[in-house]
Amino acid sequence: MDQITNEMLWTIIAPLAGLQFLLAIIALVACARAESTRGPKWMWVLIILFVNLLGPIAFFVAGRRNE
Amino acid sequence: MNTFFVLYRKELLEMLRNYKWIWVPLVFILLGAMQPVTTYFLPQILAGAGNMPEGAVIEIPTPQGSEVLAQTLQQYNTLGVLIITLSFMAVISGERNSGTAAMILVKPVSYTTFVLSKWSAMLSLTAVAFTAGYAVSLYYTNILIGDVGAGGFWKSLLIYMIWLLFVGTLTVTSSALLRSPGGAAFTALGATAVLAIATSLFPKAMAWSPGKLTGLAAQSMQTGLWDEKTWMVVLLSFVIVALMIMISVLALRSKPSLDN
Amino acid sequence: MALVQVEQLTKTFGSTRAVDGISFAIGQGRCAALLGPNGAGKTTTIRMLTGLLTPTSGKIQFQELRPGADIRSVIGYLPQIPSFYGWMSGHEFLTLAGRLHGLRGKAAVKRSDELLERVGIAGAGRRKIAGYSGGMKQRLGLAQALVQRPKLLALDEPVSALDPVGRREVLELLRELKHETTVLFSTHVLHDAEELCDDVLIVRDGKIALQGAIGDIRAQHQKPVLLLQTEADEVSKRWLAEWNLRERPYIVDKESAEDRLRLVVSDIDTARSELLEELSRSQVKVRRLEIGHTSLEDLFMKVVTG
Repeated sequence: MDQITNEMLWTIIAPLAGLQFLLAIIALVACARAESTRGPKWMWVLIILFVNLLGPIAFFVAGRRNE
Repeated sequence: MNTFFVLYRKELLEMLRNYKWIWVPLVFILLGAMQPVTTYFLPQILAGAGNMPEGAVIEIPTPQGSEVLAQTLQQYNTLGVLIITLSFMAVISGERNSGTAAMILVKPVSYTTFVLSKWSAMLSLTAVAFTAGYAVSLYYTNILIGDVGAGGFWKSLLIYMIWLLFVGTLTVTSSALLRSPGGAAFTALGATAVLAIATSLFPKAMAWSPGKLTGLAAQSMQTGLWDEKTWMVVLLSFVIVALMIMISVLALRSKPSLDN
Repeated sequence: MALVQVEQLTKTFGSTRAVDGISFAIGQGRCAALLGPNGAGKTTTIRMLTGLLTPTSGKIQFQELRPGADIRSVIGYLPQIPSFYGWMSGHEFLTLAGRLHGLRGKAAVKRSDELLERVGIAGAGRRKIAGYSGGMKQRLGLAQALVQRPKLLALDEPVSALDPVGRREVLELLRELKHETTVLFSTHVLHDAEELCDDVLIVRDGKIALQGAIGDIRAQHQKPVLLLQTEADEVSKRWLAEWNLRERPYIVDKESAEDRLRLVVSDIDTARSELLEELSRSQVKVRRLEIGHTSLEDLFMKVVTG
């Protein structure tokens, strides 16, 4: 296989990174707007920002108390 | 029929307001893209690790595109199933525990309609998320690995969708039977695991088991096969799904609310 | 004419009989109170009426119900603690309720505007229910029960969870509503029943202890009461103690303390003259002597605890 060119990186990785970023942003918005969360909000913000993919999922599944 | 659409729309709206319509498809898409992308970059990743002796040649056979898609389905077998169970574990118990089920069921709404509206909403989200994720996987596989036949893709998509429908229905039923959402998720996941293990342990006795669906989906991806055995498995899965819906309705009928 | 006829309604949970052979009728246009202490079976009875619970045995008959029609279509029900989808606005919830009752698009929207206005939360109609106060939720609960203009409005303890102001407001609303439809509401507060209702059904341990129109019950069970209070001096106390020892034919019920006496009597004239005579003869220092009637409260306490 050849070297990865910059262009390939851009077309392959960038959209995926963008989607991950989008997921994290939406999780942060949901966290900010939630009436109450399980555990402190700042903790969820850290989890969402620093645990790749699983962080936002964990927040969406378990982070909010009754919408 | 009218009340069904009213409640179905309410379910869709709820899933929009609690972001399910965004995050579940996004996660399925990311999972779907991951397999072809990591397969493609694997040699570079290994080379970059740098602890290879000088001059060592890394021979990794480049897999077929269809193999990569079959592996994508394996990703969904774990994380995908987990996400579906976790997102729908409170679908009925949540409304029963909070008392909103009672508020709705004192209006002229049949218990079957109530359950079916929730079930249909679950199916809609699952179908959209999985199709989107699987399609993205196909797209990346096509540009990075190699062309994949459309026939195998569609067949495997359909078979795997039935598997997810089965898992989702199992979750709905568990949440109608159990009070705790965690318990429902655990039961649904446990039953899925037991079914998968039993199906692989007793291939003869479990020849038509819905646990076969995952294997059949991967197989039809690679071979484009949809034979009589596949039909039987699909048929039996639908029968079990229908039974589980009936059980859910009965469970709700016998206990529409907690405080009585 | 009776709107609802209930016969021998029974519900058992395991080995406990929550409701034990209740029979009653609710007249068209009447306001009936299901009155009783907590755990008497009020909620269970109402839930059976609304179809949420299946009776173990007994019959519920609804006049004016087309054969085969769903009983739930003519009953508006407000549970003790109404629950809503917190992510919806009040207006959205009422529209949903209207649609479930068969109102189409615009009609449902219009009806929920009307009802929000009616129960006085029009200003909060577009806000999320999650932010509503208890009183606002109770009002929204009333509104959703009224959405299809029910023939029977069944309310389970509609004011018990509210603070005094909210309570007053909801009671005022109910006073207006009872002119529009038949109302059945449960309460453990006699005063609420007296204030609003025409009929009472007093329940105790799953059975009906007493039922009828409030006026009739008051007239039938009203008995003369004699209340005597003396100074706390030795002479008076001794006289009271001695007086207490003797049986008298006109005494129905007696409560006494060191310096006081409360008698429910059958013949007030005899009781009064006898007592006055003895009091003056023994030179008892009377502080207070009062002749009155038993209240509905007395009757309620007697029925419920007796």
